Amino acid sequence: MLPNRSRTSVLVFLLPPLLLYCAAVLFPILQSLFLSFFSWNGISEMEFVGLANYVRMLTADDIFWRSFFNALLYLAICLVLQLGGALVVASLLTSLRRGRELIKTLYLLPAVISTVAIAFLFVRIYSIDPVGLLNQLLHWIGLGSFERAWLSDVNTVLAAVSAPEGWRFTGLYMLIIYAALIAVPKELEEAAVLDGASKWTLFTKIRFPYIRPVWITTTIMATTYGLRGFDIPYLMTNGGPGQSSELLTTYMYKTAFTSTDFGYASTISVFIVIECLVAVGLILFMLKRKADS
Amino acid sequence: MKKLFRAAAVAAAAALALTACGGGGAASDPSNVSPTGEIKPREISWLLSRPADGAVINIMKKLADDYAKEHPGFALNLITTPDRPSYIQKLETLAAANKLPELFDTDATPFARELAKQGKMVDADKLLKSLDVYDDYRPGALDYQRFDDGSLYMIPFQFELEFIWYNKALMEKAGVSVPKSLDDIPAMCTALRNAGITPIAIDGQDQWPLERYVAYQPFREAGPDFVQKLKKGEASFSDEAGQKTVKWMADLGKAKCFQEGFSAQGYSDAQNQFTSGQAAMYNIGTWELPSLATDKLNSEVRDDIDFFTLPTTEGSVTAANEFVSPSGIGMAVNSKTYDPLVSDFLKFALEKYPAEYAATGALSPTTNVQTAIPANATPLYKKALETADTLGDKQAMPWDTQLDPTTNGRLQQELVLLVQGNITPEQFTKTMDDAIKQNAPKFFK
Repeated sequence: MLPNRSRTSVLVFLLPPLLLYCAAVLFPILQSLFLSFFSWNGISEMEFVGLANYVRMLTADDIFWRSFFNALLYLAICLVLQLGGALVVASLLTSLRRGRELIKTLYLLPAVISTVAIAFLFVRIYSIDPVGLLNQLLHWIGLGSFERAWLSDVNTVLAAVSAPEGWRFTGLYMLIIYAALIAVPKELEEAAVLDGASKWTLFTKIRFPYIRPVWITTTIMATTYGLRGFDIPYLMTNGGPGQSSELLTTYMYKTAFTSTDFGYASTISVFIVIECLVAVGLILFMLKRKADS
Repeated sequence: MKKLFRAAAVAAAAALALTACGGGGAASDPSNVSPTGEIKPREISWLLSRPADGAVINIMKKLADDYAKEHPGFALNLITTPDRPSYIQKLETLAAANKLPELFDTDATPFARELAKQGKMVDADKLLKSLDVYDDYRPGALDYQRFDDGSLYMIPFQFELEFIWYNKALMEKAGVSVPKSLDDIPAMCTALRNAGITPIAIDGQDQWPLERYVAYQPFREAGPDFVQKLKKGEASFSDEAGQKTVKWMADLGKAKCFQEGFSAQGYSDAQNQFTSGQAAMYNIGTWELPSLATDKLNSEVRDDIDFFTLPTTEGSVTAANEFVSPSGIGMAVNSKTYDPLVSDFLKFALEKYPAEYAATGALSPTTNVQTAIPANATPLYKKALETADTLGDKQAMPWDTQLDPTTNGRLQQELVLLVQGNITPEQFTKTMDDAIKQNAPKFFK
C-alpha cells in the first residue's frame, strides 16, 4: 500500500489521461447515444423521435441484419486466421533454431503496410480479368474450375474481404503469443517430458494454461478489432456486390455520410458499442469458466 | 471515484446541450447578389472536388494570382478532394458545423436543395445575370445545375458530352454494326461474346457508370421527367418505362455485356481494357478526349476507334441528339460570406475563365469562345466537339444526382445484383419501389 501522500499524487497524475479518455472516447459515445434519439440530416432542425430509430433498426431494416450477420462471419474468419494462425506459427517458431528473427519480421511486415496498399494488392490478387495471382495459381495446380471473380461472386466476396484483414494482423498476434510462449519455464516442460508427456499433452496441459492471460488479451484485442473492421472491405468492394460484404461499420458510415441520416447512423453506432462490450464480456465469461473448471 | 464519474457525466451532458444549441446562425439574404461597400482583400477558400492538376484548378489559380496583383492581400485557397464520396462527406460535415467556405462544389442533389432552401447559397441565376454573363452560358450547361423547380444555385465550369466509344475492328470481327436501337445491344453483346470479345468495358467500382445504363431506356421511353417523378414516388419501377429498363438491364447481364468481375474493377481498369483492344465498347464523356482522341491513344487501336451517341428506341420520345451532357459538379457561393470582395473576384474570374478553359482543348460551359483543338489530336477530337453544336433541348440526367442518397445507394447495389443475375427483375422492382417509398418522403417534402 502506498503512503497517503503518494496516493494523492498518483491520482493527480492519473487525472489528465482520464480526462483525455473521457473527451476522446466517452464523450463521443454519449453524443452518439444522444443523437440516436433524433432524426437529423446535419443541416435541418433536430427532431426528437424517441425510440423510433431503434425500432426501425431492430424490426424494419433488412440491410442492418444482413450487415450484422456478415460482420459476425467476418469476425469468425478474422479470428481463425489471426489467433489460430498466430498460435500455430508461434508454436512452430519456438521449435526453430535459426532464422527466427527473419521469419518474425516477414510475418510482421503486413501489419506495417498501409491499408490502402493492402486493399489494392488484394483486388489484384483476386482479379479474373486480367487474371490475378489466385486464379492463376488455381489454374496451374489444375483447379481451373474454381477460378472465379472472387470479389464479384456473392458467395465468396465476404471470405475474400475477410482474408486480407486476417492475414494482415496474424504477424502481430504471433509476436505477442510467441513472447508468451518463450516465457514458459523450461523446467516445467522438461519435467513433463520426463514423465512421458506427448507434444500435444505438453501443449494443452503446460504451455496453453501458462499463456492463458496473454491469450485472453489477444482474443479481446482481435475480437474488438474484428468487430470494428471497416477499411479493407470498404476499399475493396464498398460493401458490394449488393450487400454481400456490407458490415455494420460500413453500413453505419454510409448511413451517416451518404444518406446524411446522422440520427440513425448513431443508433447503429450505439449498437456496435454494445456489441463490442457484449463480445468482451462473453470472452471473459467463457475463459473464466474454463479456468475455474 | 463515483463522484468523479458523476461530474464527468454532467459535464458531458452540458457540453452536448451546448453543441446542440450551437450551429444555425443567420445567413445573409441569398438573393442580394450585388453587395455594396468597400472591397477588402483577404484570403478566400474554395472547397472543390476536381482533379488536382486539372484545367479548372490551374486556370483558377492563375486568375486568382492575376487578381491578387491588383488587390494585394487577396488569395484563393483551393482545397480539392477529387474522390467524390470523401468530398461529399467533407462537405456535409462542414455544412452540419455551419463552416462552409466562401465557395464550394456540389451537384444539384437533394442535400444541396436543402442548403439552398435554408438560404445558405447565393442565387446563381441572379448572380450570373448581375455579372452580365448569364447569356453566355449554354442553356444545357445551366439546366444541368438547376433544381427541379428550375432554380439555379450552382455555376458550371465544364461542359461534357457522353458517348459510347467503340472499336470498329472488333465489331467487324464479330459481324455486328453500330446499334440502331438500345434494344439491339443485348444481341450485339452475345455476338461479340461468341467471337471471344468483351462487349463493354465498365468501371464497376465507382458505381455511377452502371447507373448511367439504367437511365437510358426511361429517357428514351418517357423522357427526362421519368426520373423526376420516380425519385418522389410519383412513378415507379413497376411502370412501363421502369419495367423496360429493369428488363433491359437484366438482358444486358444475361448477354454478358460487361467484363467478368466488373463490380470490382476501377476506372483505369475499364479504360485499359478498351484502349488495349480487348473490349469493343466503352461509355465515357468528353473529359477523356485527351486520352481517347489524341496520339496518346495506343497506336494499335487508334485508327479503329470511333464513337456513337446514345441510340434511340422505337417510339422514343427524345431525339438522337439528346443524351447525357453534364456540366460537371457546380460551384456554389456561400451566402453567409458573400461580400463585395467575393462578388468582385467572381466577376473578374467568370469573365476571363471561358477563354482560358477553351484554350486547353475542353468544351467551355459558355458559347462565346471557340475550343482549341490540340496539335496531337486525331480527327475524332473535332467530331466530338462539333457534336456539341447540334445538341437537342432535353438532356438525360445522371440518376445519381437525382435520387435521394439512400435510394441511390440501394439502386447502385441492386443493379450489380440484377446484372450479375443474383436477383430476378421482380425482386429488383420490389426492393427499389419499397426503397423509394421509404426514403423519398424525407428528402422531397
